[in-house]
Amino acid sequence: MDAVAGESQITYDARGLVEVDDTVLGVAVVKDGKATIDAAELTTRKINLEIRSLVYEQGIEEVTILNPGGKHSLGVGILTRCKLTFEGSLGYFALGVIDGPEVTVNGRVGWSACENMMSGVVVINGNAGSLTGAAIRGGDLVIKGRVGARTGIDQKGGTIIVTGAAGSNTGFMMQRGRQLLLGDVGPHLGDSMYDGTLYVAGKVKSLGADCVPGEMTDEDLELVTRKMALYDLGSPPELQKFVCGKKLYNYDNLEPSERKLVL
Amino acid sequence: MSTDHSVSNPRKDPEKIISIDSEYLTGKRFAYQEEISEIEGIDLQESTPGGDINWLEDITMLEEDGTPAVFDRYSNSFLKIYYEIPEGREDEIARKVLIKHLQSGNSYGTVLKQRYAKFAQPELGPWVKGSKTVGDNYVPPVLEGWEAPEGH
Repeated sequence: MDAVAGESQITYDARGLVEVDDTVLGVAVVKDGKATIDAAELTTRKINLEIRSLVYEQGIEEVTILNPGGKHSLGVGILTRCKLTFEGSLGYFALGVIDGPEVTVNGRVGWSACENMMSGVVVINGNAGSLTGAAIRGGDLVIKGRVGARTGIDQKGGTIIVTGAAGSNTGFMMQRGRQLLLGDVGPHLGDSMYDGTLYVAGKVKSLGADCVPGEMTDEDLELVTRKMALYDLGSPPELQKFVCGKKLYNYDNLEPSERKLVL
Repeated sequence: MSTDHSVSNPRKDPEKIISIDSEYLTGKRFAYQEEISEIEGIDLQESTPGGDINWLEDITMLEEDGTPAVFDRYSNSFLKIYYEIPEGREDEIARKVLIKHLQSGNSYGTVLKQRYAKFAQPELGPWVKGSKTVGDNYVPPVLEGWEAPEGH
């Protein structure tokens, strides 16, 4: 099968780090409209080409990837509604820039999982590294485990749920959206946040600059209850809410074009 | 067609557009901006991934140039809504107008995608099932007189 178009520009890599062969191998096994890829012997590029070929060109809506082997950048740039399941752990920058997929990872993920996610659902049944959900703009990112530092840095929308402990600078420079942190949280929570909401069930080591306690409303409780039910997380525990104190930044002083960047 | 809301900054140097809306970008105003019945059939949950309205959670009714508007993040522009919004339905209307806009392929982001996408992708993204693929014929520009170094 020919390469997925647009993948044919790389022909040479002096460092030997890039898979230059852009042909789709067509190794997926398709049965009853569902596909399975055994990724054990495939490079990152081959795996991603295979996934895109299945969901874009062949109309397959459910893909299972076996043996991902902690490879980096798997499942990135999927821009359609589909269901992906990774049976194993993923490396850095997994599932970045996705718009629409519903993904389950039965394993751990490295740094920067789901960065710039636009919409969809990602459930990680394991721990995640630092910068999880960096600059996420929409959708639900659920980590059923612990996360490293700076979860949701520059978050511009969407919901991040962490069932375990979260590291330092969680919600750093957050601009919109919400995080539901069900475990303890490290130092500098919500440091320099512009907007958005942080709900914490555990202990907070310390608050960052301009992050202040807020008051739980009925709308907050409705959202938390709904999201926890969606992901089989039971009933909401007692939560503390944190928001931006709005002492550091003022939207009214922003240029219109700057204001749009945070919408 | 609406008035062109682009204006220059007071210094006039350089000329700067400070109001970018969908009509300015596409040159059109669409029926769902003027008639509420155009969006009544939109099912928000069906139109989004997951068990609720997912990314639309963050979409709310805003205002641009004194007119109710919804922000289209795929074109970085406002889509103004010209009819009276029933009280209590502001966010719902904003979300339905935006979804209609995206599903219709009218977002300027979609227009840009048709012209400039460098990687194969569904034209109507996650909003319409089975939409055609665009970006599969991108040819990088070549600088006249440039030759690839030996070995490349």
